[in-house]
Amino acid sequence: MQQLNPSEISEIIKSRIDNLNVSSEAQNEGTIVSVSDGIIRIHGLDDVMYGEMIEFDGGVYGMALNLERDSVGAVVLGDYQGLAEGQKARCTGRVLEVPVGPELEGRVVDALGNPIDGKGPINAALTDAIEKVAPGVIERQSVDQPVQIGLKAIDAMVPIGRGQRELIIGDRQIGKTAIAVDAIINQKGSGIKCIYVAIGQKAASVAAVVRKLEEHGAMEHTIVVAATASDPAAMQFLAPFAGCSMGEYYRDRGQDALIIYDDLTKQAWAYRQISLLLKRPPGREAYPGDVFYLHSRLLERAARVNPTYVEKFTNGEVKGKTGSLTALPVIETQAGDVSAFVPTNVISITDGQIFLEADMFNAGVRPAMNAGISVSRVGGAAQTKIIKKLSGGIRTALAQYRELAAFSQFASDLDEATKAQLDHGERVTELMKQKQYSPQSIAEMGVMVYAADNGYLQAVEVSKIGDFESALLSYMKAEHADLMAQINASGDYNDDIAAGFKAALDKFIATQTW
Amino acid sequence: MAELSTLARPYAKAAFEFAETAGDLQGWSQSLATAGAVAQQSNVVRLLASPSVTADQQAQALIEICGDALNEQGQNFLTVLSENRRLQLLPDISQQFDVLKANREKAVDVEVTAAHELDAEQQQKLIDALSTKLERKVNMQVRLDKSLLGGAVIRAGDTVIDGSIRGRLAKLAESLHS
Repeated sequence: MQQLNPSEISEIIKSRIDNLNVSSEAQNEGTIVSVSDGIIRIHGLDDVMYGEMIEFDGGVYGMALNLERDSVGAVVLGDYQGLAEGQKARCTGRVLEVPVGPELEGRVVDALGNPIDGKGPINAALTDAIEKVAPGVIERQSVDQPVQIGLKAIDAMVPIGRGQRELIIGDRQIGKTAIAVDAIINQKGSGIKCIYVAIGQKAASVAAVVRKLEEHGAMEHTIVVAATASDPAAMQFLAPFAGCSMGEYYRDRGQDALIIYDDLTKQAWAYRQISLLLKRPPGREAYPGDVFYLHSRLLERAARVNPTYVEKFTNGEVKGKTGSLTALPVIETQAGDVSAFVPTNVISITDGQIFLEADMFNAGVRPAMNAGISVSRVGGAAQTKIIKKLSGGIRTALAQYRELAAFSQFASDLDEATKAQLDHGERVTELMKQKQYSPQSIAEMGVMVYAADNGYLQAVEVSKIGDFESALLSYMKAEHADLMAQINASGDYNDDIAAGFKAALDKFIATQTW
Repeated sequence: MAELSTLARPYAKAAFEFAETAGDLQGWSQSLATAGAVAQQSNVVRLLASPSVTADQQAQALIEICGDALNEQGQNFLTVLSENRRLQLLPDISQQFDVLKANREKAVDVEVTAAHELDAEQQQKLIDALSTKLERKVNMQVRLDKSLLGGAVIRAGDTVIDGSIRGRLAKLAESLHS
């Protein structure tokens, strides 16, 4: 039971009565003409603005989306069951805002920022508009710091930088959310705040993600914004924008944040529903004409801003720090079709994509990333030195392996060089597999990639590589903790570190049989 | 609703411009109001919706019912409407005509709902204040509503000024809720 604190409540009431604005301002009023499927048509409201909040009887709010000659089309934010034809609707003169700030960390909120986790009210000091213009060219800085995802395959081959937009795309049930959750878990201790926006998912799936984050101690630095499948389409459409404003709070104050939109396909569906009900003309796949703008204006707000912008924004309180908001949008494809409307749009907007493939998933390669078509267009500049130096060979090894693997199915005998390449490729593929919820540090990745590059895996049976990895990592942790800590702290790679790796691996191979 | 007013707009505009050149805004306004009221009668509505009655018959019937309220041009107007099968737009046309007329005359209808009887001096004060604020000639109508508890609500078109005790209490309730 919640404790009732009489003095505290009286205080609040007193201050509210004191501060209540009772001035009788002239207000614009209209009459509800029709209520259908969450869309309200209003006659009157001559002075309404696009995107303005409209107040209905009973404290229900809506948002004006269509301004026509004789009527206004609005979506209801919440329950529209109590609304009826003939009721009054009033302009508020405000645009939609959500609470932002550190008070939200560790909480689960809906698209309007109301808590839905039963942990009591959120006393956020600040609110911010959900629709904002992205920082301009002058205010930006290029991406050159990494976001460690903790998955070897991603950090080695498609590195992600702070302020980048990297799309996670693939069919249903293929591990898109798993990558996102691993990315959040790996931000523990990195200072990057995380926002997980769940759109149109089952409430049970959202609860499962929240529970996993709590289990791994990752909920403290995370805000979950949930618009589940049972929420109105308007909420599902607004949730990513609300989450983005919460992330911008950190970006604008010289901090780093990571936001995951899971997934934007459902947001596009919700927006399509609203648009069709508002009688906007349908285009390709029945999406409205501005579905590209819907995603481009959202993803453009994920950016890295320069110290001048941060200093100006905080009135000189924060000096010499860049801020960033990294976005990982998720798109679900139907049977691997990336040339559908929304996937092509979002691929073209983002700075690269992680493409997950059903065949690889079924073959047991998890994460099921296809290294050939997955790219990161800006992350290379942000990659940690050690991973960058060591992982150069991985991509080519996998590319050659794929080519040869297809070819070798028909050829009966192969020359030695080809066999060696196939062998190496097979081992690297095996090495790129990684269990869920077990992100690796830079040093751990470094030592594994070093081992693969320098032929230490050659003697190991392919099926034993997983065991080899865990044995090697626990050995490194026990015997070479100093070296590992040094790498994790600096991310550097030099001859000393290479020598340290070599000595450690030689000793490990010598003492164990594989 | 929205669609009807869109359809009614060109007719209202044409009628207004004609009446203006003829210098008979008041007369046209009354004729249209009568015709609009007639077109809203339930049996007339049925007549207008019936496909078995020709457009000509509909126009004749309406003109006969309205009788002296329509001059010759007014009768022509109904005939034009009937040719396009738009007679059921008459109430909307009448309403839009009055809006155009009020705009031209720089007048506005204001409805004041008060909790207590307003004496002549108070009414004059209100009219003066509203005329300066809205920059229009004010035609005021006063209604009584005890449930407002105190103060008054002023309604001029879409603009509402809520100065009632009930409105303030509702605001307080909302702020305590949030």
